[in-house]
Amino acid sequence: PAGGVSLRLCIMPVALEGMNKPVIDRIIQVDHVGEYGANRIYVGQVAVLGRSSVGPVIQQIWNQEKDHLKKFSELMVAYRVRPTLLLPFWNIAGFVLGAGSALLGKKGAMACTVAVEESISDHYNSQIQTLMEEDPEKYKELLQIIKQFWDDERQHHDIGLEHDAEAAPAYRVLKTAIQLGYKAAIFLSE
Amino acid sequence: SAVRCQLSPPQRALQASAVLRRVSDEQKKEPLTSSSEHQFDSHPTDHQPEQEPQGPHSSYTGQGGQQSEDYESEEQLQHRILTAALEFVPEHGWTAEAIAEGAKTLGLSVAAAGMFHSDGSELILHFVSQCNTKLSELLEQEQKLVQLGEAEKKPTDQFLRDAVEARLRMLIPYIEKWPQALSILLLPHNIPSSLNLLTSMIDDIWHYAGDQSTDFNWYTRRAVLTGIYNTTELVMMQDSSPDFEDTWRFLENRVADAMSMGNTANQVQSTGEAVVQGLMGAAVTVSN
Repeated sequence: PAGGVSLRLCIMPVALEGMNKPVIDRIIQVDHVGEYGANRIYVGQVAVLGRSSVGPVIQQIWNQEKDHLKKFSELMVAYRVRPTLLLPFWNIAGFVLGAGSALLGKKGAMACTVAVEESISDHYNSQIQTLMEEDPEKYKELLQIIKQFWDDERQHHDIGLEHDAEAAPAYRVLKTAIQLGYKAAIFLSE
Repeated sequence: SAVRCQLSPPQRALQASAVLRRVSDEQKKEPLTSSSEHQFDSHPTDHQPEQEPQGPHSSYTGQGGQQSEDYESEEQLQHRILTAALEFVPEHGWTAEAIAEGAKTLGLSVAAAGMFHSDGSELILHFVSQCNTKLSELLEQEQKLVQLGEAEKKPTDQFLRDAVEARLRMLIPYIEKWPQALSILLLPHNIPSSLNLLTSMIDDIWHYAGDQSTDFNWYTRRAVLTGIYNTTELVMMQDSSPDFEDTWRFLENRVADAMSMGNTANQVQSTGEAVVQGLMGAAVTVSN
């Protein structure tokens, strides 16, 4: 169908020569996993808190994450990176985390959001540094995307704080646990 | 030999090439014209300071014409020898003899075969790598034609069939000795390389077939196609029909099976999704 053809033409193969392929592969693979997991977390949260007062807020954050995931899926195809093998596992784990934190209440969900968004933005930050050290010109497109997403994630983090994340039960414990889990996920997926 | 130990690896490679060329000089008619070549010939044991920049050189003259760059890296030399050796595989198999014959056609000494393993591993891997490259180029060309509107885009099953057939047809000139090659490729010390070559070839085919999956499908599709490729290859070894038509029919059936399996998988997934939605609804009800 015509739609399929035009989609293919939009995702033109990126010129892969001269790129530090292993670095790019890792970055895109890990970011894809991160966004995929974040997506599943918000699915879980919306499933429980969708009709509550924070429902629209979570929905809005989720929509942005959906865009992020879509973008990384496109990059994955353009740069010919393989997706991580553990995706089905993160599918379930993300959902359980989202739904679980939401069952702790609205503040619990916000605490989860703060924890995850902080981890993701730290990660993007270090990736930006890596790419800048390598060659800012060569990776301009990728840098732009990651910078934009870093900005988005910081916003999500702030929204979480605004909605009383810190008042959540066992906020510190919850936050540390989630961030450790995130680091483990990144480690396993690399 | 004592001198050799003092040289660094790149210089040893230069020495190796120089030695081979010197020995073959006796057979060669044209004299070497380049001055740098001459230096090696007359002072083989001197520890020469670097005359030329190290690293791979793109222009190899071969016939002693230009004098600027007739030094090539050891890797490039090995590639040329192995390519030349392929011509002798139908007669000698994937062996050191074939490599020696190949070296001879390039005007090198038969001692060149000593650069390689005696079981012919490098020759086979080189051949597989060459075939994969040819396949990629072929698929790239086809893609260009479709993008320019000069050809119709093939449906997936036909694309896969044609790609696998094109790749397997490259084995035909060597088909009698191919079972031997397959068993060598399965030797433990070759498995990393041969697996690598296989997976990148399959990935290439799916890429040009337009696969854009970024989930577990990525793995399923490649695993399925690898299975199809390997089984078809084995069938081809036993096939004695004219132009291997039995093999292509086998291939067609396997691809069709895979396609219908994909449809079944989709149905299973839809059912699964429906079940999950039901469960979620129950969870929300409970929590509210």
